[in-house]
Amino acid sequence: MTSDVLTNAVAEGRCGDRLWLYATYHCNLACVYCLTESRPGIANRRTLSRETMVRAASEARELGFTGLGVTGGEVFMLTDAAETVVGLGEILPTVVLTNATLFTERILRRLEPLAGADVVLQISLDSPEPSRNDTLRGPENFGRVATAVPALLERGIRVRLATTVADQSEDELGRLCELHRSWGVSDDDHLVRSVVRRGRAALEDMGVEPGPTDILPELTITADGAFLHPFAPTVRHGVTDLDLLVSRQINPLEAALGRFLRVVADQPVGTDVARNIR
Amino acid sequence: MSRVRLLQRDETPVHARSIYAADGSASPLKRSLANAPDLLETLLPFLGQIFDEGAVDLATKELVVVRVSQLNGCRYCLAAHRPLALESGVLPEHLAAACNERPVAELPTRERAILEWVDRYLTDPHTIDDDLVARLLDYVRDDQLIELSLLIGATQLLNQYCTAFQVPPPA
Repeated sequence: MTSDVLTNAVAEGRCGDRLWLYATYHCNLACVYCLTESRPGIANRRTLSRETMVRAASEARELGFTGLGVTGGEVFMLTDAAETVVGLGEILPTVVLTNATLFTERILRRLEPLAGADVVLQISLDSPEPSRNDTLRGPENFGRVATAVPALLERGIRVRLATTVADQSEDELGRLCELHRSWGVSDDDHLVRSVVRRGRAALEDMGVEPGPTDILPELTITADGAFLHPFAPTVRHGVTDLDLLVSRQINPLEAALGRFLRVVADQPVGTDVARNIR
Repeated sequence: MSRVRLLQRDETPVHARSIYAADGSASPLKRSLANAPDLLETLLPFLGQIFDEGAVDLATKELVVVRVSQLNGCRYCLAAHRPLALESGVLPEHLAAACNERPVAELPTRERAILEWVDRYLTDPHTIDDDLVARLLDYVRDDQLIELSLLIGATQLLNQYCTAFQVPPPA
């Protein structure tokens, strides 16, 4: 069965057991290193419907996945994002990547069912200096994150911070850690990772070129198809990169998973393989 | 200008890169189909079975492919298969007849019957009668006629695809 093959592939370190969903490529920001060229007003939003995501999540649980990741674009550009996230969290433990700039009181109220749920909102923040952060991520980004994080924590919603390193100094990152600790976010809930040289980052000549085994394969579903990992379905000049596409078919999920597992079965694994980008 | 992207090797999904030769080349048709790698998994073996030599010799198959492509006006497939037809042993005058550059009536009865089958199968299979089938079966077995008929359909599929997407003919 496909689920047994997944379990074995995970045990062998060939892939992860999290299913990623690209909810939309639409975003209210236009970060300089964005993998997907997301920005306000984008024409091709490549949106997954709530039904598609919930169905994929349910199938994923049956197939042996143990977690979900939801990303974009900005997930909360979708009008029903809060309810979708709550629903997904009832199916599998879920991490939601967000810029946290759209959390109005109304949205926060709709997210309150996440209190105590196995759902983490992973919020991007790149610098403790508002101007530095906002140069990378967009106007007023820092201030909105600084407002959103305490508001979420007060409601019992789990928060993790993610910092994408472009040219920040060690000192700058150290001060960022002091900041998140002051908000009540522990070091364990702070991820630091490099800019990956794909999408807009590649066009901007930024980031680390990922090698073929640098990134752990994790089945990633977008409106364009299923990809090898969440850094794969990138966009350049408005066109989706297909080099790491594993299947155009995403429904049923088992079809995409079958092709994904055939691809990862051909990839090297073992102690010599380092996953340098997480 | 192609209406679909013609992927280079390094743009193509990793698991579909076997369509490229060692020097990185592939036909424009394959490069366009690489956008749909799931379909390639079954389409290419299917097309290989249909177009390669099977129960029917390659020259007869190429004559049929050229005739279908001529009737459909497919620039891509004519450009690709006219040279292949000559390489496979189709006589130049037979090829010219299949391309309406010489009268079909001048062909030997075997080739004439095959082209008549192609014409009717493609344009209006209701007009096929027992007499035509009987004439065909003087030259080919029934399984060979099936193979030729599926070849007509597969060629039609590619003709329509290449024409609609304006896939540029191979250089």
